[in-house]
Amino acid sequence: MKITHHPTDETLAAFVNATLCEGNTLVVATHLAHCPACRKAVREMSEVGGGLLDKGETTPISDGAREKCLAKLDAVPPEPTEAGTPMPEAERPMSLVSLYEDGKWQWVGPGVYRKFLDVPSLEGTRVFMLKAAPGTRLPDHRHVGTEWTCVLKGAFIHDHGRFGAGDFDEADDSVAHNPYVEEGEECICLVALNGEVEMTGWLGRLIQPLLRL
Amino acid sequence: MDQPSGDALTDPPPEELIAQIALAQDKNAFATLFDAYAPRVKFFLMRQGASPDSAEELAQEVLLTVWRKASYFSSQRGSASAWIFTIARNLRIDETRRNKRARVYAMVEEFDDVDPDTPHDLVSSKEHALRVRSAIGELPVEQQEVVRLSFVEGAPHSEIAQRLKLPLGTIKSRLRLAMRRMRKSLEDLA
Repeated sequence: MKITHHPTDETLAAFVNATLCEGNTLVVATHLAHCPACRKAVREMSEVGGGLLDKGETTPISDGAREKCLAKLDAVPPEPTEAGTPMPEAERPMSLVSLYEDGKWQWVGPGVYRKFLDVPSLEGTRVFMLKAAPGTRLPDHRHVGTEWTCVLKGAFIHDHGRFGAGDFDEADDSVAHNPYVEEGEECICLVALNGEVEMTGWLGRLIQPLLRL
Repeated sequence: MDQPSGDALTDPPPEELIAQIALAQDKNAFATLFDAYAPRVKFFLMRQGASPDSAEELAQEVLLTVWRKASYFSSQRGSASAWIFTIARNLRIDETRRNKRARVYAMVEEFDDVDPDTPHDLVSSKEHALRVRSAIGELPVEQQEVVRLSFVEGAPHSEIAQRLKLPLGTIKSRLRLAMRRMRKSLEDLA
């Protein structure tokens, strides 16, 4: 699997610092499940955290806390590592997605279905899977807010290139695009949407009330 | 207890202490780790907004997790300090219930296959940590500031932009440059 579109370094840093909302965290994690290069970047960025921890200041721990902690050790012995076989790579992305309850596939337009995931959000992020038949042309749209996507299966193409399985697409309000699904295979994506999507084509305007994207 | 940069916080180094815990449930090793890391983790957590009491409780929880999960630590994945940093982060997230983010992070960490037949390479993981550390120290001041706000205070980009009264794009590009430089410092390492 050849991955060509990755999260930016500042997005990976935000992942390392857990400052992304839960929906965006899930989409980045799903990319990481596909991408050893970005997992390596994440580990390297964790070293920055480790370095700052080492070089950072300290706040004294109160008297007796250490002894209290030591007294607990017998009750929680070190766990032996499980000798289980690692999860096959192909199953990893869906193992993340299926942490969350999902709804039913809903028809949203010709050849296009959507299924919401129950991802809690304080910021109003909506997380869903989008499934589109080969060759489907999605309505022209412009973003108000951000739309982060990780492709799970198949491929779509828009102004910024071809996005196949594992590819990550970070669209914000500077992007207007008219994606279409590559011929041959249906395309399934995981999407976290912050804010609204504004349809720009006449067809899009017509079906926007139906889509409620 | 200021450390000359690059020196491990403990003697023997924390990676060995963790190995001792995994091998022999060594409580002295735990006590040494506790003294070195608990006050640092507490400082981090307080900078992230925790009250002194809950920061202390969480710091103890972090060290207890180090004890419990010692056998899962692998220097193939990085240094002990980086590992403890991620444990603190995961516990901070886990504090809020009905939130599966901590599980998401744990799963991503498991995707990093560790070859059980490759012995721990303390030298290279130490070299790794050293390079990252010196790369942070060499960053321009304005990039260091954004790195510190992100990694120590756990502030989202938008909050950093507000606090520094700068456009969001500036914050992102500073962070991007800092991460790029830091990763470049590691390029010729395996």
